[in-house]
Amino acid sequence: MRRSRSSPILSAGVVVVSGPLLMFSAYLLFAGHNQPGGGFSGGLVAGVAVLLVWAAGGIDSVRRILPVRSNVLLGAGLSLAALTGFAAFLPGLAFLESGYIKLHPPLVGEIKIVSALFFDIGVYLVVVGMAVGLVKALGEEESAEAPEVGA
Amino acid sequence: MFVVVLVHLLVAALLVVARRQLERWAFVVGALGPLATLIFVVANWGLHHGEAVTEKWDWVPAQDLEVSFRVDGYALIFLLVVGGAGLAIFLYAQRYFTPARGPTMFAATMTLFAGGMVGLVASDHLLSLFVFWELTTISSYLLIGYDDRTAQARSAALHAALVTGAGGLAMLGGFVLLAEASGSYLISEIAANPAENSFAVGLAWVLILIGAVTKSAQFPFHAWLPGAMAAPTPASAFLHSATMVKAGIFLVGRMGTAAVATVDWWQPAVVGIGLVTMVVGGWRALRQYDLKLLLAFGTVSQLGFMFLLIGSGIPELVFSGLAALLAHALFKATLFMVVGAIDHEAGTRDLRRLSGLNRSMPVLFAVAIAVSLSMAAIPLTFGFDAKEAAFHGLVHEGVLWVAAVAGASVLTVAYTARFVFGAFGPHVKGQEPAQGRRLRLSNLLLAAPATLAVISVVVGFFPALAFPVVDAAAEAVTGVAEAGELLLWPGLGPPLAWSLASLTVGSLLAWRSDLVARAGDAVGVVAARLPSGEGTFRRFVPGLINFADRSSGLIQNGSLPTYVAIILLVAIVMPTVAVLSNGATLVAPPSGTLLEWVLGLLIVAFAVSLAFVRRRFAVVILLGGVGYAIAGLYAVFGAPDLTLTQLLIETLAVALFALVLRHLPATFARTATARTPRLVVALLVGAFVFAGGLVANAARTPSRVAETFLAQSIPEAGGSNVVNVILVDFRGFDTLGEITVLVAATLGAAGLIRPVIRNRRRS
Repeated sequence: MRRSRSSPILSAGVVVVSGPLLMFSAYLLFAGHNQPGGGFSGGLVAGVAVLLVWAAGGIDSVRRILPVRSNVLLGAGLSLAALTGFAAFLPGLAFLESGYIKLHPPLVGEIKIVSALFFDIGVYLVVVGMAVGLVKALGEEESAEAPEVGA
Repeated sequence: MFVVVLVHLLVAALLVVARRQLERWAFVVGALGPLATLIFVVANWGLHHGEAVTEKWDWVPAQDLEVSFRVDGYALIFLLVVGGAGLAIFLYAQRYFTPARGPTMFAATMTLFAGGMVGLVASDHLLSLFVFWELTTISSYLLIGYDDRTAQARSAALHAALVTGAGGLAMLGGFVLLAEASGSYLISEIAANPAENSFAVGLAWVLILIGAVTKSAQFPFHAWLPGAMAAPTPASAFLHSATMVKAGIFLVGRMGTAAVATVDWWQPAVVGIGLVTMVVGGWRALRQYDLKLLLAFGTVSQLGFMFLLIGSGIPELVFSGLAALLAHALFKATLFMVVGAIDHEAGTRDLRRLSGLNRSMPVLFAVAIAVSLSMAAIPLTFGFDAKEAAFHGLVHEGVLWVAAVAGASVLTVAYTARFVFGAFGPHVKGQEPAQGRRLRLSNLLLAAPATLAVISVVVGFFPALAFPVVDAAAEAVTGVAEAGELLLWPGLGPPLAWSLASLTVGSLLAWRSDLVARAGDAVGVVAARLPSGEGTFRRFVPGLINFADRSSGLIQNGSLPTYVAIILLVAIVMPTVAVLSNGATLVAPPSGTLLEWVLGLLIVAFAVSLAFVRRRFAVVILLGGVGYAIAGLYAVFGAPDLTLTQLLIETLAVALFALVLRHLPATFARTATARTPRLVVALLVGAFVFAGGLVANAARTPSRVAETFLAQSIPEAGGSNVVNVILVDFRGFDTLGEITVLVAATLGAAGLIRPVIRNRRRS
């Protein structure tokens, strides 16, 4: 499934699907505290989207759409999760103990922001970083003439 | 006290950060550390009768972890040596190094070491003492190996670090055993209420003694110290004569009284070790041609002397040992600096090639003579005052004690003579004399040793100056004030007789050095057959590496199937043993609905067909099928979060597998290895999981944790999805650990894959 031979149907399909896929991924992340989902599953969905992009356009498309090195995602995610833990010290709570505030912006109704959300975003970034890192590592072509094997 | 340690650490950090800017004045800046120590000592001058300055910083109060400093008279005398000798040696080093060699890192390490030494002697908590102890080991390693382009320096540094490091580990074990038995990690409390003797406490004292013996280069671990002379002379003067090697002596003195009260072997052991070290060090010093090595073996001998006095726990001996400690710091640091100056100016340290330096370097000669007399304990010197006090105490203990120490002192007199005549006397015939390059010493190179020499002489004439410091130090550990006296003229009596006897015999030995040489050759023939410290160490290290090679070759043989089999079998054996030893009942699961049966059979069908498929891609698809069917089971049991995650994981895993397969052959190769073992392992795992399910089914009780989590989820964490709340809040620490593992695994996998693919692309 090299870029030069990728089917136009697949490319078009990916363009159509990846948008909703990423929205679903974000939904899982934010809904996770009260509904099934969370940073881990949300990150996995985004990882699937990255793989689809690779299948449609090869390694270069992945690089173009996500011009961030996977190590940056991994590091940012881990740091965010750890910092959320330490932030609990500020109001005198224990490490990683969560607090929440309720906002009442007009027209939207009540929005509850839980500090654990930032921890979950960290988890999300790490999972996405894992998927991107492995796709970039494995998705490189060995050589232009290599016979296509398997997928 | 915190401030003093902090000054050292900050100055060391500053020297590292601004190493270019500070290159010219590195050691002057570094001297701020010892200066701070000296200021502290002066500000607290006259601590006595068990008074102490204490400072405490709680780190983890729940675990009784704290950094606790307690400076009493005993710590103060060591601080005086660290600060005083340190200041002199730093100023000396400023001139010793030429700026072109970029010695800033050396200065930084020396400052770091001085900070470690200060923390070590001031620590009251056993664990912080250990941390500072190791800091001195590490900085000593760096300083010995400073000339890292010579194999000899690297090997000597490693030797020192391994011996003292191993001793430090033993000591740590001893500390933990002792503290657990005593109920406190504070040295002051352990000393006040020593733990009753038991096997654990006895073992603790053995381990602590090992730590002290290795650090202070006592027999049979003394061999690392002469090797450490590969370090530049300022480090040898500071670490390997004046301060670091006294850490072991510090420890036996600090703990000695408690040890003597607990275990009856302590005193004979310490005295025996010290005595043997005195004799071995003194004898080896008599056979050296390198002035620095001569001093090093002399240090070994002197350390043995102080070890036996201070570790004995007998008040009068501890008192004289502490006086000897001050005297030794003054004369040995000075002599090292003298040798450094000779080496610096004449270009050699070989006493057969040096001659007539008394004419070309008269001031240096005078300095060397002044302190050498003290080293040999000639009357009217500080060394003599200290040794008289020791003989006075030893006479009380018995003739055998004093005779043994006086006998060992004979060697001290003889090697001092060898040093003085070797460096400044006529050169040996048949050896080419050293060509003096300039033989004109800069004042700075002379100022530091000269200052120490003057102090040594003045204190020798007025020993009352040193008495308060020594007395307060001895009282702090033994509880006895005025246990001994420091006198210019001790009066006629047995102690003076022993002193004069050892001086006379020593002088005779020096006079007939040809006899010594012949006896030495004879001993050498015998000694060559005995295991020597250096030789044992040289054989030990390759042996250890060889052993590691073989054992890891056995375990890590590179076969993936073997690893998997070992992991699986261990995973089977451990729980099976646990279940069987506790007795278990098997409870059959409820019969199950039709949907559960369908999904279950689907899993079995996928799994069985996996074993017969040869195409890799089919294997991946079938594995994915197993995973999806399991996700179906989760859904049936009402676990939406698990279902969702399982589905997503399977999807991503299959897709990533597909990526891997691009780089592998399409089908599995026929393996040459036997299939039977694999089949056995596979069947065992299957049977284990099946039986494990039935056992777990029987052991199932409603868990209270689950109820708590359900009840607390909304009020505590503000979330109604309890699975997610557990992940990000109740068990957030676990999750943090897991994503850390995920990051590490990703970095590792990507790091391993990339070069392989790039290599293939290139070829």
